[in-house]
Amino acid sequence: MSTVPSGASSLAPEDAHRALAEIVRVAGRDVLATLARWTGNLALAEDAVQDASLRALQTWPRDGIPDSPVAWLRTTARRRAVDLIRREAARRPKEALALGPLTDAVLPEEDPGPEVVEDDLLRLVFTCCHPSLAPETRVALALRTLCGLSTEEVARALLVSEPTMAKRLTRARQKIRVAGIPYRVPSAQDLPERWDTVLATTYLVFNEGYAATAGPELTRPALVAEALRLTRLLQRLRPQDPGSTGLLALILLQDSRRAARTDAAGGAVLLADQDRTRWDHTAIAEAVPLVGEGLRLSPAHPDPYVVQSAIAACHALAPSWDETDWAAIESWYEVLLRVDDGPVVRLNHAVAVAEARGPQQGLDLVDAIEGLREYPLWHATRAALLRRLDRTDEAAAADDLARNLPLNAVQRDLLDR
Amino acid sequence: MTQYAALIYGADNDWTQPQYADTTAEYAAFAEAAGAVIRGGAALYPTSTATSVRVKAKGGTPLTTDGPYAETKEALTGFYLLECADLDEAVRVAATIPAAWDGVVEVRPVIEFPM
Repeated sequence: MSTVPSGASSLAPEDAHRALAEIVRVAGRDVLATLARWTGNLALAEDAVQDASLRALQTWPRDGIPDSPVAWLRTTARRRAVDLIRREAARRPKEALALGPLTDAVLPEEDPGPEVVEDDLLRLVFTCCHPSLAPETRVALALRTLCGLSTEEVARALLVSEPTMAKRLTRARQKIRVAGIPYRVPSAQDLPERWDTVLATTYLVFNEGYAATAGPELTRPALVAEALRLTRLLQRLRPQDPGSTGLLALILLQDSRRAARTDAAGGAVLLADQDRTRWDHTAIAEAVPLVGEGLRLSPAHPDPYVVQSAIAACHALAPSWDETDWAAIESWYEVLLRVDDGPVVRLNHAVAVAEARGPQQGLDLVDAIEGLREYPLWHATRAALLRRLDRTDEAAAADDLARNLPLNAVQRDLLDR
Repeated sequence: MTQYAALIYGADNDWTQPQYADTTAEYAAFAEAAGAVIRGGAALYPTSTATSVRVKAKGGTPLTTDGPYAETKEALTGFYLLECADLDEAVRVAATIPAAWDGVVEVRPVIEFPM
C-alpha cells in the first residue's frame, strides 16, 4: 500500500474525494459481481460491498489508496460477508442448516483473474435484467448494482421516495434469491432474446434521463451519464455484439444534442430550430465510426439499434435541417420498418417522407397508422403537416387533442407554442 | 382414492417471518391432525416473488411478466410441484403445461421450513 493517496494528493480536497469515490464505485461493482457468485446472495453481497466501500472512503484518505483497490475491497468485503453469514447462522441455526451451502462460511480465498471478473459482471448483467423482473425493477437494479449508485441516488434518479425504492430493491433481491433467478450467462439458444432485454433495460435508463416522462425537467443528465456508463460496460463485455455497439452510438448521438435541446428559459427546442454549434461534436465523432462498426457486425439483418443510430448520424452530420439528407433518412426508416416494425417507427418514417417528398405524402402515411390515438406526438405531427397544407382548422383540432394527452411539463410547453 | 389440492387464499404474508409463528403452528397442528389424508402440499412465498409465463402457441417462446396473474377471470385452479435447478428451467417446464397457452401458469418458489 502506498503511503500517500497516489494521484489524488495534488488535487483539491473535493476533487480528491470525488476521484476516490469514483475508484471505489467502479472497483466495488467488480467486487460485487464476484461476491454475488461466491455467496449466491445478492442482498448479502451488496451489504458486504457497501460496508467495504464505506471503510475504503474512511481509511484510504489517511492510509493511501492501495496498489490494487479491487483486491483491497474484495478482501474486506469477503471478510464482511463471512461475518454476516456467521452472524445469521448463529441467530437462526435451523434456517441456516436448511439453506445449506448458502450459509457455508467457506468462501474462496483466491482472487479471480480479470477475465473471471468480466464473466462475473456479465452474469450480474443477466441477473439484474432477467425478464421475470418488471422493467422498472430492472432499471432500478441496474442502477444500483451495475452502476454502483446508492439506494438514495437511485430513488432520486427515478423520482421516487427512498423508502419506496428501498422496498422495491429489497423485493427484487428476495425474488432473485428465493425464486432462483440464475446467476449465469444464458444458453446460446436463449441468449439473443435475453440480451435484447438487457439492451432494452439500458435504453430505458437512457430514455428516462433523456425524455423524462415525469418531473419538471426535459432531461436528467445524471441518468443519461449512467446509461452511457452501462452501455460502455455492455459493449466491453460483448464487443462482437452489434446491439451494444449500435446502442452506444445511438445514445452518444441522441445525447450529443442535449445542450441545444433546451433554451435559456429551460423550454424545449425542436431539432429543426436547434443551434447545431452547441451539439457535442466529440460525442458525434466517437459515435459515427461505431455506426459503421455496428453495420459491419450485422450486415444481412441490421440490428435495430444500429439502424436507429444510422438515422441519428444522418441528423448529426447534417449542417442544418434544410440541408439534411432526407432521402437517406427515409431509406434508413424503411430498413428499420423491415427489422423492427411498430407504430412509432411508422410515424417517424412518415415525418421523413414528408420532408423528402412533401407534406401530403407524409400525412397520408400518418393517417394510415393504427394504434397511436393516445400518443400526443401522432396528433402533433398531424397538426404540423395539416398546417403546412393550409388546413388550419383541422390543424388546430389536432393540436387540442395533442395537448390533452399526458406529457412532461417541458414537452407540453413546446406544444403550447 | 382421489387426491385433492387444497389451495389456500389469504393474506399475502411472508410466512418465514417470526410474527407468523402462531399461524404456522396452527397449520402444523392441522397437518398433524389430518396427517392420514394429506399426501402433499406447500406454503408459498409472497406474490412479490412470482413470475407469470405464457406462450403464444404450443412450443412457442416463453413470455414472462413480474408478479402473479392478477386478472379475476381466471383463478388458481391447481399446482404441480416442480424441482428445477433455477427459474429459467422452471419457466421452460411451465411453458409446456397446457394452461400456459390456455390461461397462465404462475411459477412461485416454495418455502422449505426446517424440520
